[in-house]
Amino acid sequence: MIDRRQMMTTALTLGAMHAFPQLTQAQARRLVFATFTGSWEEAHRDVLVPAFRKASNNADIALDPLLSVDQIAKVTAARANPPIDVMLHDPGPALVAIDQDLVDDYPIAQSAHYNDLIADAQGAKGPAPFFQVVGITYNPDKIKTPPTSWSDIWKPEYKGRVGITNLNSTLGTGFLVEIARSRGGSEANVDAGFKAIEELKPNLGAVAANPGQLATLYQQGQIDIGPGNFNAIQILKARGVAVEFVAPKEGAIAFKTTIHLVKNSPNKELAFKLIEASLSPEVQAKLMESPYLIVPTNTKVKIGGEVAKALAKDHDEMKKKFVFQDWAAINKQRSAWIEKFNRDIKI
Amino acid sequence: MRSAPVTTYDLKLALPLAGFFALFFVAPLLILILVSFYTDTSLTQFGLVQYARFLLDPFSLSVLVSTLWLGVKVTLLCLLLGFPLAWTFVRSPRLAQGVLMLIIVLPLLTSVVVRTFAWIVILGRQGIVNNLLLSLGLADTPLRLLYTDGGVVVALAQVQMPLMVLPLITALSRIDPNLRDASSALGAGAWRSFIKVILPLTLPGIMAGCLLTFAAAITAFITQSLVGGGQMLFMPMYLYQQSSTLSNWPFAAAISIIFLVAVLGAVTLFNLLGRLSRGYAQG
Repeated sequence: MIDRRQMMTTALTLGAMHAFPQLTQAQARRLVFATFTGSWEEAHRDVLVPAFRKASNNADIALDPLLSVDQIAKVTAARANPPIDVMLHDPGPALVAIDQDLVDDYPIAQSAHYNDLIADAQGAKGPAPFFQVVGITYNPDKIKTPPTSWSDIWKPEYKGRVGITNLNSTLGTGFLVEIARSRGGSEANVDAGFKAIEELKPNLGAVAANPGQLATLYQQGQIDIGPGNFNAIQILKARGVAVEFVAPKEGAIAFKTTIHLVKNSPNKELAFKLIEASLSPEVQAKLMESPYLIVPTNTKVKIGGEVAKALAKDHDEMKKKFVFQDWAAINKQRSAWIEKFNRDIKI
Repeated sequence: MRSAPVTTYDLKLALPLAGFFALFFVAPLLILILVSFYTDTSLTQFGLVQYARFLLDPFSLSVLVSTLWLGVKVTLLCLLLGFPLAWTFVRSPRLAQGVLMLIIVLPLLTSVVVRTFAWIVILGRQGIVNNLLLSLGLADTPLRLLYTDGGVVVALAQVQMPLMVLPLITALSRIDPNLRDASSALGAGAWRSFIKVILPLTLPGIMAGCLLTFAAAITAFITQSLVGGGQMLFMPMYLYQQSSTLSNWPFAAAISIIFLVAVLGAVTLFNLLGRLSRGYAQG
């Protein structure tokens, strides 16, 4: 006969299994891909996942949309049995993940697409399937002459109408480095950049907490001009917000979005297939189209549409017009810069 | 077998909850304290470096002080606006009370993010306030209301208002209406009745409301960062920056412990005031 105690134990066990499904799935779990939140997740769910499933005989896959830092935290917490198989990273966090020995070498010899990537997108610890591009965003209803250079943001007529983000984001840090470089600084010395932001203060209408918030501020008329991410701005534009993106004549800032095999992943083979799919010209060409407009890194993709119009018409022009930054150097001092920004930038 | 008295409960009944708290609250807190004593980000050496770094740094201390001060300002504003509201509620007929209660609780039923975005729309350069000021000719150019201290205080006060009003309503509705009548029959004016009778009797509600509002205001990461922007630094954002952007867990842990102790200190002070005032109310 079943007594109460046994009932209780069974109920608790069932409850625990329900609350922590990993207990039962520890051995064989489906492939987990940590993508970014928002439009990235949408793009990957709609294009990358179907391509992967086709290539892998309908293997099961779960998207886990997380910020880079949260991906790293999750994998660090369980190095031996990581809950994520494939990570996606901005350049800063990618180097952190590599430094902390969280990722495996990419099996280049077996890869069908690796050698087709443009040189800047190749990397032994994880190739870049996409570029993110930062240029100048402006509101064409309020600003009639399109800006052409980063220095236009400092024009006195934009008093109180410029928006930037703080250095928590890749966008904010990249912008600081770029203006430092345009004034004689470098990744190792951004003092000129801080001086420039100091001079920008009268123009600053907002220092947003993150790039997502920065983009929405155009919609509300809080700001009319500032650095902006090509994809984020295109999404706003598609929703009818009056925003335009221009690549400044100094060159648009390009960040690699890299994809990595997590060390000790139990799904190595499927993970490799997913990354291969993300590097393939088919997936990249599809993601380049509207509404995603993600900049491809595979040279076999013929660049077209909005990406060709606003950024570069082929990969050769891309190499000339994009500015890549040395994130290994940036990471070394980023913490000090964030501290300086905390202390000095008050509007 | 003798059955236990039906009116007393066995403490063992609290064991599952106690176990839950021990596992998911006490244990992580202990780990947090442990992490805060590491001197380096790879967690190898122990020391007090992180605490020294915070407590000996005037900038970090100013972030702590401005966060607590923000809490005080929001709490006072909530009290100032919430008391008349609670008063109106208690004095309204039953039908109006239903409507008022809905209005009071409504902020709790919408997400903090939505409420905060509404404030961005209200306070923005082309927001409702600025448009009104411009069209009335009270200002020539849009004023900067967003990303200011005042903006954060007002937005937080609205967001946290129910936490102040609900305890006040409970306290006010417990007061016997005869007391006020008695007070005025004995010759006290409206203000005197309020200060000598109503206010002391509502003190428990005021203390509870203030505590809740204060605690909620200083930890409101979303509202602080969206309305305050990326350059106004309060403790939750400072913590987030250190732990998430910079992966400096020991320093982030030390910040949380210091914040926790500071908040506990403020709460103790509140409670002390509450106890003193209760003495005043009964004396």
